[in-house]
Amino acid sequence: MGEKTPRIYSVELNGAKDMEQTDKGDDKKYRSLRENCLELGKNHHKEELRKEVDLDDHKLSNKELENKYHTNIITGLSSTQAAELLARDGPNTLSPPKETPEIIKFLKQMVGGFSILLWVGAILCWIAYGIQYSNDKSSSVDNVYLGTVLALVVILTGIFAYYQEAKSTNIIASFSKMSPQQALVIRDSEKKIIPAEKLVVGDIVEIKGGDQIPADIRLLFAQGCKVDNSSLTGESEPQPRSCEFTHNNPLETKNIGFYSTTCLEGTATGMVINTGDRTIIGQIASLASGVGNEKTPIATEIEHFVHIVAGVAVSIGVLFFIIAVSMKYHVLDSIIFLIGIIVANVPEGLLATVTVTLSLTAKRMAKKNCLVKNLEAVETLGSTSIICSDKTGTLTQNRMTVAHLWFDNQIFVADTSEDHSKQTFDQSSGTWASLSKIIALCNRAEFRPGQESVPIMKRVVVGDASETALLKFSEVVLGDVMDIRKRNHKVAEIPFNSTNKFQLSIHETDNTTDKRFLMVMKGAPEKVLEKCSTIMVNGQEQPLDKSTAEAFHTAYMELGGLGERVLGFCHLYLPADKFPETYSFDVDTMNFPMSNLCFVGLLSMIDPPRSTVPDAVTKCRNAGIKVIMVTGDHPITAKAIAKSVGIISANSETVEDIAKRLHIPVEQVNKQDAKAAVVTGMELKDMSVDQLDEVLTSYSEIVFARTSPQQKLIIVEGCQRQDAVVAVTGDGVNDSPALKKADIGIAMGIAGSDAAKNTADMVLLDDNFASIVTGVEEGRLIFDNLKKTIAYTLTKNIAELCPFLIYIIIGIPLPIGTITILFIDLGTDIVPSIALAYEKAESDIMNRKPRHKKKDRLVNKQLALYSYLHIGLMQSLGAFLVYFTVYAQEGFRPSILINLRVEWEQDSVNNLEDSYGQEWTHYQRKYLEWTGYTAYFVGIMVQQIADLIIRKTRRNSIFQQGLFRNKVIWVAIASQIIIALILSYGLGSVTALNFTMLQPQYWFVAVPHAILIWVYDEVRKLFIRLYPGSWWDKNMYY
Amino acid sequence: MVIQKEKKSCGQVVEEWKEFVWNPRTHQFMGRTGTSWAFILLFYLVFYGFLTAMFTLTMWVMLQTVSDHTPKYQDRLATPGLMIRPKTENLDVIVNVSDTESWDQHVQKLNKFLEPYNDSIQAQKNDACRPGRYYEQPDNGVLNYPKRACQFNRTQLGDCSGIGDPTHYGYSTGQPCVFIKMNRVINFYAGANQSMNVTCVGKVNYTQPLVAVKFLNVTPNVEVNVECRINAANIATDDERDKFAGRVAFKLRINKT
Repeated sequence: MGEKTPRIYSVELNGAKDMEQTDKGDDKKYRSLRENCLELGKNHHKEELRKEVDLDDHKLSNKELENKYHTNIITGLSSTQAAELLARDGPNTLSPPKETPEIIKFLKQMVGGFSILLWVGAILCWIAYGIQYSNDKSSSVDNVYLGTVLALVVILTGIFAYYQEAKSTNIIASFSKMSPQQALVIRDSEKKIIPAEKLVVGDIVEIKGGDQIPADIRLLFAQGCKVDNSSLTGESEPQPRSCEFTHNNPLETKNIGFYSTTCLEGTATGMVINTGDRTIIGQIASLASGVGNEKTPIATEIEHFVHIVAGVAVSIGVLFFIIAVSMKYHVLDSIIFLIGIIVANVPEGLLATVTVTLSLTAKRMAKKNCLVKNLEAVETLGSTSIICSDKTGTLTQNRMTVAHLWFDNQIFVADTSEDHSKQTFDQSSGTWASLSKIIALCNRAEFRPGQESVPIMKRVVVGDASETALLKFSEVVLGDVMDIRKRNHKVAEIPFNSTNKFQLSIHETDNTTDKRFLMVMKGAPEKVLEKCSTIMVNGQEQPLDKSTAEAFHTAYMELGGLGERVLGFCHLYLPADKFPETYSFDVDTMNFPMSNLCFVGLLSMIDPPRSTVPDAVTKCRNAGIKVIMVTGDHPITAKAIAKSVGIISANSETVEDIAKRLHIPVEQVNKQDAKAAVVTGMELKDMSVDQLDEVLTSYSEIVFARTSPQQKLIIVEGCQRQDAVVAVTGDGVNDSPALKKADIGIAMGIAGSDAAKNTADMVLLDDNFASIVTGVEEGRLIFDNLKKTIAYTLTKNIAELCPFLIYIIIGIPLPIGTITILFIDLGTDIVPSIALAYEKAESDIMNRKPRHKKKDRLVNKQLALYSYLHIGLMQSLGAFLVYFTVYAQEGFRPSILINLRVEWEQDSVNNLEDSYGQEWTHYQRKYLEWTGYTAYFVGIMVQQIADLIIRKTRRNSIFQQGLFRNKVIWVAIASQIIIALILSYGLGSVTALNFTMLQPQYWFVAVPHAILIWVYDEVRKLFIRLYPGSWWDKNMYY
Repeated sequence: MVIQKEKKSCGQVVEEWKEFVWNPRTHQFMGRTGTSWAFILLFYLVFYGFLTAMFTLTMWVMLQTVSDHTPKYQDRLATPGLMIRPKTENLDVIVNVSDTESWDQHVQKLNKFLEPYNDSIQAQKNDACRPGRYYEQPDNGVLNYPKRACQFNRTQLGDCSGIGDPTHYGYSTGQPCVFIKMNRVINFYAGANQSMNVTCVGKVNYTQPLVAVKFLNVTPNVEVNVECRINAANIATDDERDKFAGRVAFKLRINKT
C-alpha cells in the first residue's frame, strides 16, 4: 500500500497549492501523480480514491477468509493467537498525527523568541570574564555569575512555557480517552466485550444499530444492516450492507464495513480485515496530516513583536557599543554595556506571561464548550473573518423533526425546538384522527426498551431518520404508540423501498364493533396520490377533484420549497365482506386493492436549526464575520436552513430568486443585485480559481450545497486568498485536510471522528455553532488584552535602558544593575501583566469588524512609540528622580556625579570626595550604588503601578471602565509592592542580589511622576474620545 | 527586520524602500506628509519641553531638602576609611634605594601633599585648639560658616616632615615614611572621646590626624605586607567586605643592592 499512498493523498488534496513540502521522498512521483490528477479533473476524485484501494477480501469466500486470517467464523480466534497478532500489528487505533518529539518542542522553547538574545548576552558575559581572567587572575566573578543567571532565566522560562503547552495538550488527550470504544468479539468460542483497540485481524465481531464499526470488517452475516459512510465518502444517505460481494471496488461493495463509520440499524457479524492505521480511514487520516499547517495569526503577531523588540535592542546595543568604543571606553567595558542594554530591552517574562494568558483563556473557553488544543488558536477565533460551517449537526439539531402538516386544505406548523413537549396545532378535526393513526401505525421504528424515564425527544430509536421523527412526533401527540400498535395488530406489511417509494401495512383495528381491516400507507406524495380517488376533508371523504388536487400540489410545492422532506399519507378500510377476519394477506401477490384509496394528508420533516443558531449568526454578522455554509445536502434544503438561521438574510435574494421574481432568464439578471448565492458542488467543479474568487468576494451570503468534503478544501483556500482568517467546522475524516488547512479547524466533539478531532485546533464539545461565537468573543478579548499586557511590559524597558545610556554618555554611577532589571522583569511585573488578561472588554467587541491580518497588528507603531517615547520616558525621569534624591541626600549632589564613573569604580580609590568633602572608600560607594539600584527599582515599581492602571483601557477613561471591576489588578498591585518590600527589607542583606534596605521615604519620591503618568494618559484618552479620526487619534491610539 | 515569507526580488525591496523614503504620489517622506511631520515634531517639542520642566522642578524641590553644609544621611560612613600617602595604583610602595628615579615621584607627591600642612598656611587658615578635646563650632541658630579646623602643623611630623630633610622622607636611605590618613567624615567624633592610635605591623610614630609611619629597618629586597588599623572605640575595623574601613593594607618593598 505504501507506494500507492501518495496517490490517494494527491487525490485528497487536489487544489492545495502548498503541498510541495509534504513528502520530500516521494516528491517526483508525487508531482507526476498530481499532474495526472489534474488531467483527470476534479470530478475524478472519488473514482481515483476508489481505484487505489488495494483490498480483495470482499471477493473471497468465507472459507478463503478463514484460511487467509487463520481464524474460525464460529469460534473466533483463540486468546493466544489474538495476543500474538496484537503484539505484531499494534493496537487498533489511529496513531495521532506525527507529533514533534518532546525534546524538539523543548529545545524550540529554549531558542525561540528572545531566548537567542539572552543566550548571546550570557555568552558575552562568559567571554568578558574569560578576557578579564586572562589579564588578571583575581578578577571578580560577577560576569560569570550574571551569565549564569541569564542562562537560568532562559532555561526556566523555557521550561515554564513548555510545561504550559504540555498541560493544554493534556486536556485534549484526557478528552479523547473519556469514551473508550467497546467491541463485542468472539474469541475462544465465547462472546466477550473488549476495548476496540485490542482488536486484531481475524477477530469476529458483532455490531448492531448505533455502534461504531470498530475496524475494517468483511461482513459474514447481516440483517437489515445500514451504515453511514458520510465520514468516508461524504454521502449522507444510509447505505445498506449485506454479506454479498456486489462490486469489484471495495468502497462500493456491500460486504465491507469501514472503521469509524456508524452502523445505523440492523445487526451484522464481520471479520476484522484491517486494524488501526491500515484501515482505509487510517490511511486517509495519516496522509491528511501532511497538509501544511498554517501559522496561527497570534504566532505571526508575536514573531512580529519579537522582531521589533529585538531590532530595537540590537540596534541600540550596537549603536552604543560603537559610541562607547569611540568614547575610548575599554572594549571589555563596552561589551558589558552591550549586555546591559540587551537585558534592559528584552522583556524576559513576557512570552511566559503570554502563554499563561492564553491558557487562562483556553480554560475559560473550555468551560463554554470550546476545547482548545493549540494554545495559540485561542486568539485565532477572534481574528476570524470567515466561518465555513457545516450544516448538519452544527447549524441543525441533526435529527429529522416533523415541521409541517397539511390536511383539511390547511398547513399547520409543528414545533421544532429542541425540547418540544407538546404540539399546539388544531387537533380537533376528524382528518387529524385518521392521519395520526396512519402516522402511528405505518411505521417500523421502535424505541429501545427501558427508556421510560428519558424525555421523548432524547430516547434512542431503532429505525431510519424519517421514521424516528414520525415515531417521536406521534409519541408526543398521541401518547404510548407501542400500545396503539399492540391494540391495532399488524397483519401484513410492505416495507419502504426505493422502487415502490411507499410503505404499507394492514392492521386489525381496536374498534370492536368494526371488523374491517385498516390499510395504511405512506410514501412519496405524488406516488401516494396516484393511488387515491378520494380525499378526506374535515373527517369526511370527498371525491378527489381537480381543485383539491391543485390544493395538494400547491401545498406539496410549498413544503418542498422549504427544503423539507414531504410524505403523503392515505388509508383504506377494506370492506369486511371481501376481506373477512380470516383473510390471509400476501404481500408478494398483493391480494388487496392498491387503488381508490383515501388521501388523508401531507407531513413534512426537516432537520431543524438549533434554536441558538440564528442569534449566533446575527452576532457573527454584527461582528463582521461572514458565515458560509458548506453542506453535502440538497441546495433547496441548504438554502431553506440558511434562510431560517440567517446565513441568507430575510431580504436578500439569489440570482435565481431575482430571475423568478422578474420572470426573466437567469442570464439577464444583474449579478450585482444579488447579495446571496447558492453554489452547488457541480457548479464549483467547473469553476476556475478566479471565478471562485469572484463568487467569494461579490456575494456576502454564500451557501455551498452538494459539495464533497474534498471541495471544502478548495473553498477554504479560496477564502484564504482573500486574506481572510478562516475557521472551518468539520466532523468527517475527509474534512481533516480542510480542517488542517484552515486557520482554525473546529471539530465536533460529539459527531466528530477522531481523525477530525486530531487535526482540528479546537473541539466543540456540544457541536453547537453558538459556541463558536463565544470563542470569537474570547479570542477578540484576548487580543485586546495582550495588547495591553505588551504595552505595559514594554514601557519599563525604556526606564531600564536609559540608565545604561546615561551612564555611558555622562558617566554617572550606574543607576540600575542587570540583576535588578531581571528582578523587575521576572519579579514585580509578572503578576500585573497576567492580571491584564482578566480585564473586561472596553466596548462591545462583537460590534466591530474582525481585525485585518496584515494591517491591525498586535504591536503597532503607535503602541511602540507611546510605550517607549511617552510613558517609558516619563517613567525614566521619575526613576532618575529617586536615584538623584538618594545620592544627593547621601552626599553626592547631581552636579558632582557627572563624569565620576572612572574614579567611582576604581578599586584603589578609597578616599573619593563627595559634595561635602567627605571621603568614601570603594566599598562604601559600592553600597551606595546598590542603594541607588534599589531606589531606581522602587521608582520603576511605583510608576509601573500607575502604568498598570492606565493600561486597563485604551480608549475609555479608567472611571468608565471601573477601577475596581477587575479585582486581579489589585492583587497584582499588592504583589508588586510585597515583592519589592521583600527584596529591599528581606533580602537587603544578601550582597549578591544588590538590594539594600531603603529609607522609607524614598518609596514615595516617584509618586508625583506616577500621578503625572495617570493624568497624561487620561488626557490622551479624552482627546481620542473627543476627536475620533483626528491627528491625535491616529497617532495616539494603539 | 521582518523576514518576509514571500520572496521578493532585490529590485522590489529597493523600490519599496525608495517609496517609503519619498512617496511622490502622497508626498510622504518616511511615511508622513510634511504637515504630519511638522505636527509630530511640534508635539514632541512641546511634550519633551514639558517633561524637562517637570523634571527640573522636581529636582529643584528635591535639592531644597538637601543642606549645603551637612549631608542628610551618613549611614554609609559609619566607619571612616584609611588611606596611605604616597598613593600608588595598587597601594604598593616600591623603593630602589640606589635608583633615584624610583622614589623621586613618591617624594614629589608627598611634597605636594604636605604643602597645605606647612605651619604658615595652617596658622593662617586654621585655629589652634586644645589637644584632647573636639573642636566644635556649633551653629547656635546662626549658620557658622566656614568652619575652621584645628591646626596640624607639618613640623609635628618630625622626621617625616620632610623639612630640611636630606633623606627625602627616608626614601634615599631605605627607611621610607608612609603617611596614613583617615577619610574625612563630617560630624564624625573619632575615638568618641577616648584615646585612639594606629597600629601597624611595624613601627608606629603617632600624631594626629596624619600618621606618619617611618619604616626604620625593613628587610630589603623582600615584599612586606603592611596593614595599619585605627584602634578607637567607635571605629570597627573588622568589616569583611570593606578592606579600607578603619584600616589600610599596602605593600612595601625596598630594593637595595
